[in-house]
Amino acid sequence: MNDMRIAERTVDANQAKIAARGVQVHYGSNHALKDVDVDILDKTVTAFIGPSGCGKSTFLRCLNRMNDTVPSCRVDGKITLDGEDIYDAKVDPVQLRAKVGMVFQKPNPFPKSIYENVAYGPRIHGLTRSKAELDQIVESSLRKAALWNEAKDRLDSPGTGLSGGQQQRLCIARAIATSPEVLLMDEPCSALDPIATAQVEELIDELRSQFSVVIVTHSMQQAARVSQRTAFFHLGNLVEYGETGQIFTNPQDPRTESYITGRIG
Amino acid sequence: MTDISAASAAPARRKGSLLTQDALTRKRNAAEGRFKAYGIVAIALAMLALVALLISIFAAGLPSFRQTFITIPIELPAEKLDKAGNRNPAEMAKVTTVGYTSVINAALEKVIEEKGLSTEGLTPKQIGGLISQEAPAQLRNYVLANPDVVGTTIDFELLANGRVDGFFKGRVTMESAQLDSNISPEQLAMAQELTDAGIMAKRFNWGFLTNPDASDQRPEAAGLGVAILGSLYMMIVVLVLSLPIGVAAAVYLEEFAPKNFWTDLIEVNIANLAAVPSIVFGILGLAVFINFAGLPQSAPIVGGLVLTLMTLPRIIIPSRAALKAVPPSIRDAALGVGASKLQSVFHHVLPLAAPGILTGMIIGLAQALGETAPLLLIGMVAFVRDYPGPLPGGLFDPASALPVQVFSWTTRGDPGFVERASGAIIVLLVFLLIMNAVAIILRRRFERRW
Repeated sequence: MNDMRIAERTVDANQAKIAARGVQVHYGSNHALKDVDVDILDKTVTAFIGPSGCGKSTFLRCLNRMNDTVPSCRVDGKITLDGEDIYDAKVDPVQLRAKVGMVFQKPNPFPKSIYENVAYGPRIHGLTRSKAELDQIVESSLRKAALWNEAKDRLDSPGTGLSGGQQQRLCIARAIATSPEVLLMDEPCSALDPIATAQVEELIDELRSQFSVVIVTHSMQQAARVSQRTAFFHLGNLVEYGETGQIFTNPQDPRTESYITGRIG
Repeated sequence: MTDISAASAAPARRKGSLLTQDALTRKRNAAEGRFKAYGIVAIALAMLALVALLISIFAAGLPSFRQTFITIPIELPAEKLDKAGNRNPAEMAKVTTVGYTSVINAALEKVIEEKGLSTEGLTPKQIGGLISQEAPAQLRNYVLANPDVVGTTIDFELLANGRVDGFFKGRVTMESAQLDSNISPEQLAMAQELTDAGIMAKRFNWGFLTNPDASDQRPEAAGLGVAILGSLYMMIVVLVLSLPIGVAAAVYLEEFAPKNFWTDLIEVNIANLAAVPSIVFGILGLAVFINFAGLPQSAPIVGGLVLTLMTLPRIIIPSRAALKAVPPSIRDAALGVGASKLQSVFHHVLPLAAPGILTGMIIGLAQALGETAPLLLIGMVAFVRDYPGPLPGGLFDPASALPVQVFSWTTRGDPGFVERASGAIIVLLVFLLIMNAVAIILRRRFERRW
């Protein structure tokens, strides 16, 4: 436990990468997220926990404006990335998403080769000038996603032919190939078996050195294992947000305590 | 409290052994059995109807792919066919088919004499009547195309008269010939003798696929050449216009259009357009393309435009379904790595929907290929003997189309055309089968799993 405290103190010195103030989300007449204030720190793993339908995924999708694709969705309040309002009219969501990558619940590789899956992002953002550079990015991304050793001999085979855990790591490689600053993960392990989950969790811990990672999870054990900070959502409210150790050992709010001890949710 | 205990005292429970079926179970099983029987009966009836249809079409139509020809050496006298003697086709064209008829008749009589066949009871005109009226025209065309053969003797395949052809296909009998002013039993006997002598024989009828239409008296010469070309030209017009427009409309409506009253209205109207009777499109084409825009009648360009209008909704609807079937996770994935909407559609969604779109496209084209009613209204039922020119100018030349050719042949009087119409249906069916096979192959080849 002591080691964790030390880690937390170093984290506290970091400044907020993403700051959300008074975020409200409506889906039509449904008020899905109510007045959420969160600071997401750089080079930290932040976990969002809470029962189903509590708004944690909704909030995650606000952070890279994926909610824009839902016609009935309305986002109020202010979310800044490095001090810039991401909902400003001048912001192109495409550029935002290059900085804030996303990994989804279900592994969703493109039905193309492994190489093409990883190379797609850098290619459309014009990050490389030559094939060699692109090869380099593909290799390093796959290495970071701990998939290189398994995939290096079959870069031309389809990404959909991999196992579930490999597919999810491929999706992570694809997300980090564009060198994002923040990586959003929406229940990345919910479709994986325990071994694949362990691999992805290990990976998340390594990614922390370069990215700010935000992970939505249903598993409180997972949140406790991988995150430094945890936010607990309930019925669209952010109930409690703080250091992971504190949330799990000494929650301030009775609802948090009920949830982590298994009495609600 | 007493109410509750009373209600919960005896839950309804099925009694009796599992090894015997109770009345309710038997009833349910019987209903299931009956339902299966209905389905089997329905499918059997449909198969029976299909088999009956195919048998009747093939029985009537297959003979049109074989045709009776008379192969004889023909002397082409220069003094008759090229009076000027300079082998100039322009001047030789002054000799009409009548001149060639006498040449052919002379050649036939000579052959009959050489073989020692009896011509008793036959006038020279009747002997000449064994040969199709189209044969002199074919010989004339051949000579005009090859002027140097004049003055020599060539072996030429002459089309036999339609009645004689029908005799060898079982359509004409000695009894029916007695009542027929166009043929006599003696002529048929002579035809039989010529066949025994190896002069008259049936062979595969390429002319059926390449010849233009022929007049009412000459079913033996009628072919599908102009109709096939016309249908091909129309399909090119339909493909070139409806593929980009249809796919673009489907992509816009499915991926980009806001969901509001107007897009709902457009959607409903596209669905309605797909159900509009095709003849209505024919009237529209007549009014807009011919009367207003002044495009020529009977031209493949007009037919193609009308069929495009008709095909568009039938392409848009399956294309939208194919786009809708692409899992949203692929769109999320593309947007998640920072692709724009357009990139996500063109790099990921459209390639995944391509097999469905192509299948819809080919089925739409196949429907257009078989469509008759709108073409009747824009004048494509006309009797066209000249092949349309090469593309793109040929689009504006008069042409026929396969289904219209079937229609027009079924209205002709000569029984020889029954066989031709059925043969044309077989050709049309073969084209449709090829297109459907291509659709299946494309779907198999491009189908990917995700």
